[in-house]
Amino acid sequence: MTAPPATLADAPAGVPTARQVRTHLRRARRRHHDHSLSDVLGDAYVVVLFVGMYGWFAVSASRDMLESPTVGRADPGVRWWLAVAALLAGAGLAWRGLRALGPLLVTPATQSWVTSAPIDRRAWLAPRLAVLLTAATAGTALVGVGVAALGGVTDLAALSWAAAAGAGWGATALASSVVAQGSRAGRRWPTLAGVVPVVAAAVVTALVVVVGRLGDGLPRPAASPAAALVAVGVPLAVAATVLAVRALPRVDRATLTTGAQFANAAATATILLDPSMLAGLVESRRWRQIGRVRSRRFLPGPGWWAMLQADVRRLRRHPSALLIWTALILVQYAAALALPGLAGAAQVVFGYLATDRLTGGLRSISRSPGLRRALGGSDAALRGIHVVVPAIGAGLWWLLTVPTVDGGPSWLGPVLALGVVAAAWRSGTRPPINYGGATVNTPFGMIPVDLLRQGGRGPALLAVLVLVRLFLG
Amino acid sequence: MLVDALSVRGLGRNFGNLVVLDDVSFTLQAGRIAVVLGPNGSGKTTLLRCVVGADRPDAGEVLVQGRRADETDPQVRALVAAALDDIDFFPDLSVVEHLELVAYAHGGNAEPVEEVLAELGLEPARDQLPVTLSSGQRRRLALASCFVRPRRVLILDEPEQRLDVRGRQWLADRLRRERDAGTAVLLASHDPELIDAVVDERIEIGR
Repeated sequence: MTAPPATLADAPAGVPTARQVRTHLRRARRRHHDHSLSDVLGDAYVVVLFVGMYGWFAVSASRDMLESPTVGRADPGVRWWLAVAALLAGAGLAWRGLRALGPLLVTPATQSWVTSAPIDRRAWLAPRLAVLLTAATAGTALVGVGVAALGGVTDLAALSWAAAAGAGWGATALASSVVAQGSRAGRRWPTLAGVVPVVAAAVVTALVVVVGRLGDGLPRPAASPAAALVAVGVPLAVAATVLAVRALPRVDRATLTTGAQFANAAATATILLDPSMLAGLVESRRWRQIGRVRSRRFLPGPGWWAMLQADVRRLRRHPSALLIWTALILVQYAAALALPGLAGAAQVVFGYLATDRLTGGLRSISRSPGLRRALGGSDAALRGIHVVVPAIGAGLWWLLTVPTVDGGPSWLGPVLALGVVAAAWRSGTRPPINYGGATVNTPFGMIPVDLLRQGGRGPALLAVLVLVRLFLG
Repeated sequence: MLVDALSVRGLGRNFGNLVVLDDVSFTLQAGRIAVVLGPNGSGKTTLLRCVVGADRPDAGEVLVQGRRADETDPQVRALVAAALDDIDFFPDLSVVEHLELVAYAHGGNAEPVEEVLAELGLEPARDQLPVTLSSGQRRRLALASCFVRPRRVLILDEPEQRLDVRGRQWLADRLRRERDAGTAVLLASHDPELIDAVVDERIEIGR
């Protein structure tokens, strides 16, 4: 006989505990593969070693670079306040990342076959919360140490304070994002928690740039803020963790599975070393949030004119691209103050990033043979039309940042600006990666040749431009 | 007083400024089968996702046996069985292990699993891993997940999809038996034969 209908009174009776279901699932899965604990620990060891080794190398190299004569001398106050702005912006973006992921999530399979059952949700999610909290605390403690070391701190006690500050605020952010996940839809504080640090970062950066260019610059505080950050962050972390545990039963299916799609896309993008997979999902989510737009007829004219209007319209409907384009102007002015010797190279890199934000149309038609067939005309002509908007954007961005750079022959600026457009073009017209072709053995394992070839299309040209700027600037 | 098995009141869902569901209301009593009808893009799947709790509505509420259908409530999850298009599988569990897992997680045992496997013609595939199943077999496995566990409300999104002729006949028969057992069934379907054969009520949206 099939399972009997349930009644409201007896619904939860006889339901196994989360631990029992987890054990049942683990046993069933273990029958089909022999992934032992030592394998897991071995993988974890490699990751920790990799992060520790390369992380410390990155911090040391960055510190040496900041102190080198190539970078040039900058006011310590400017660098200190810009580091604060960078941390604020990083915190805001990290919060958005946490919210996009969940941060608690279950795989679609787990949702379909396990968490759709009346198992106690708090008990099912609690181990995941513990793992995430541990990872966030450890990760942000490392960030704290890295930032302090980058600032020239070598004293063990001071590094410990920095680690504690990072851990406290990292745990606070993670636990708060779980509280947000369990809150009702439409609450504004989770959105504000992501926006406020980014706006604060923009304000601090603007202040540093204005005061730095017009006056003597902002002074660096006499004392380290680490102790104050610990004093506020650690109690907040404890309180937020308590609230997060209380919120676990309210974390619903909608938020648990949404993050899983992002996690899957991120994992696939990481494994295949192709960020476009994650970018595609982010883009589709963005357009879905917009939902409906006001459709209008194109102004009469030839086909290329309509496509150009469509590209401009696409940009107007995607204001965050313009926002990033504008923010990068501010970033370039800040970089010129903090790293005066590298201002020219920074202009090339940030100019490329700003232009790349405007290549949505170019990427769409380059990735879709069907779209190109439907639009008609040659591929070259279609791509040529869709590079007009990025080229104008690049030119304008370059002109607005000219005051941040001096030195070098007069022809260098226009040539580099054209090079930036060419790099954005190469990146935007990148065809899908062929993973089935030849592979090459690297220190990171076997990598398809096409991945290196396609992945380096835009960035390779960008690297050449940076070198040209460094040698001739 | 007779309590409705499923009650939807003023349900609304928007994507940005696109209104997908606007003030949708209906009730469904135990032992009745209702179909959601509407053209492509009218919000049928979104409605079912909101009823199940896979999506958060912007307005309105869903009641199951008179209580607010909060997906985080274990009692609601015990009452509502659903097969939507977002189902996924553990790559390393066989067909029968998937069904036993669902039965176990709902506090039952493996007793109904063999019968459901036989009924759905999945016996030959019982030990196969999901990646080796055809799309029709996957669909049958998704439907089977609803029948190895207790339920008072059954939500199905185009259950006839990818089923062959025999499978569709089985589906109609199965839905009739669900009705006879007192289960309230809400489905979205584009199959006029299935609708004419089993449906008691029609809910039209997006017109």
